[in-house]
Amino acid sequence: MDYKQTGLSLVKKAFNHETVERIPWVPFAGVHAAKLLGIGAEKYLKSPDLIFKGVSKAVELYKPDGIPVAFDLQIEAETLGCQLNWPDNSPPSVISHPLQEGVKIEDLSIPSASDGRIPVVMEAASKLREKYPDIALYGLITGPFTLALHLIGTDIFMKMFEDPDEVNKVMSFCADVGKMMADCYIGAGCDVVAMVDPMTSQIDPHSFETFVSPYATDIFAFIREKQSLSSFFVCGNAKQNIEAMCKCKPDNVSIDENIPLDYVRDVALENEISFGGNMRLTTVLLMGKPEDCQREALECMDTAGRKGFVLAPGCDLPMDTPPENLEAVTDLVHNEMLQGELRASAATITEVEKLDLSSHWSKDKVIIDIITLDSASCAPCQYMVNAVARASDPFGEKVIYKEHKITGKEGVQMMTSLGVRNLPTIVIDGNIEFISQIPPVGKLEDKIKEYLKSKK
Amino acid sequence: MEELLKQIAHCVEFGKINQASPYPPDLKGKDGADELTKKALDQGATAEEILTNALIVGMGKVGVKFRENKVFVPQVLMSAKAMSAAMAHLKPLFASGAAKRKGTFIIGTVQGDLHDIGKNLVSMMVEGNGYEVIDLGVDVNADTFLTEAEKYPHAVIGLSALLTTTMVNMENIVNALKEKNPETKVCIGGAPVTQDFCNKINADLYSPDPQGLVEYLDKLAS
Repeated sequence: MDYKQTGLSLVKKAFNHETVERIPWVPFAGVHAAKLLGIGAEKYLKSPDLIFKGVSKAVELYKPDGIPVAFDLQIEAETLGCQLNWPDNSPPSVISHPLQEGVKIEDLSIPSASDGRIPVVMEAASKLREKYPDIALYGLITGPFTLALHLIGTDIFMKMFEDPDEVNKVMSFCADVGKMMADCYIGAGCDVVAMVDPMTSQIDPHSFETFVSPYATDIFAFIREKQSLSSFFVCGNAKQNIEAMCKCKPDNVSIDENIPLDYVRDVALENEISFGGNMRLTTVLLMGKPEDCQREALECMDTAGRKGFVLAPGCDLPMDTPPENLEAVTDLVHNEMLQGELRASAATITEVEKLDLSSHWSKDKVIIDIITLDSASCAPCQYMVNAVARASDPFGEKVIYKEHKITGKEGVQMMTSLGVRNLPTIVIDGNIEFISQIPPVGKLEDKIKEYLKSKK
Repeated sequence: MEELLKQIAHCVEFGKINQASPYPPDLKGKDGADELTKKALDQGATAEEILTNALIVGMGKVGVKFRENKVFVPQVLMSAKAMSAAMAHLKPLFASGAAKRKGTFIIGTVQGDLHDIGKNLVSMMVEGNGYEVIDLGVDVNADTFLTEAEKYPHAVIGLSALLTTTMVNMENIVNALKEKNPETKVCIGGAPVTQDFCNKINADLYSPDPQGLVEYLDKLAS
């Protein structure tokens, strides 16, 4: 490797749709980070210091490879005159739509970096950048369609048919706002600008291509020119638009549980675009147990593969997501052994055909099975196999040993059939003898001798 | 008359509101749901006939297309707008008791959530299918639902949420309603909502599309 592997380098590699050694993990801790500080959303999202502290706390707990500065799609709208409502336990929402109330689009001007809460998030971004140079820092901007909806209200959907020129005018303005925000985030040191446009999930591909594609493409081209990375986030069932989203040329698309990950994987990789998602937010991350979250993460990782994938929740994490659930995901991401064990135990639940081992055993030989995870990075597995090899050698043909890697079907079947639950494990004549710890060669030899006594 | 009702259904299906509306392009300049409904009433059709044989037919077709991902929110909203133009003529007749509805449906977006597209879509679809709809608006708390449910004891309740951060409030509302009257049927929906979530909070129905709700209501009403 020509550079030190950091969270940032992993995310960059994934965004470059390369195969990674370890799948990067990016928890979208928005107002959830406020919860970590024990404060409400409003106080949090109005203070650069608190955002800095909250995200720092999330970094400490979840050891992410990337993390957003803030997850608030109302910042731009607020500077443009939309009134906000501030519930305590979620990000604010827009309650008034200036263009519906008589303001003309011509009357609005692009906000400046000092307007509204823009300086709040940018200050937090700069501080986080300084503190965490090795983590991919995400700056989230409001996508043009969602911002247009904030400005016009839901009439936008009907205006697409009744007044398409007006919609285009507003979209063009919103794209300019997006570029301004992207520029600010890049200036503050963010590595990734994520354009979050959840409302596009509500429209058909034709409307998407007509009213969203030109502006989204423009924003991503701008980010590329600035030599930053870009992502297109969408929440909701936007399956119909994934192809069109990829054609807008972001570096990455990120989706939620409403869209099958394998579908997005295929479309994204075909378009040479990285992809991310899509852990279930409510039923698993919020309401599930830590182990459910690990299984969920593993399922995403196994479906996605190591090429171009970023593991993330489907969208902004619910505020009350239990930290232990996210910590469990962190453990899983960093522990390949745990991944293997979970995979194998999942296989136990689903019907793995058990092997008929009657011909596996021998009357005059000791049979040693070593269940391992096949991976160059699984050092304990290799040492365990070496130890068995060295201990067996002196006995020649009397001892037969074999490694079973659970990356293959045979390995999983063997693990299940032998009742093994942890990796790596040594099984002698069907009895589980050594779990996880590598026994000294002498001890192994003694064990083999014991078993040999009962042989002919 | 049959031809006229067919035309109204077509206008609702394709979102042709009135003569002036430019969409869809192939009906430009022609009468829309507004003019045609008035014409049908003038020619002696009853409000129930128009509702049953034109609006429900048109909305049903859009509902199915929406479920099959053939059309999306913008098209459904246009249909709903066309339907509302027709309903404006029918409502006074229903209000006077001269015509009957299939039942009552109370709907609102849950506390903390101010999104109304989904809720409006569902209300219009349900109304277009012959039910009286009590729309409580957005950011509705459990108490308001309880009060309304008491006023309309046989009504079915619908809860909408767009955000993962607010859908959790559905649980409290379902609990409150069921505690007061275990017989109350509560339906939930919205972009982040799933069947799994519905099971977890003991709601009676989750439907990913309005059509599923209409079918459920029809089953209860029959």
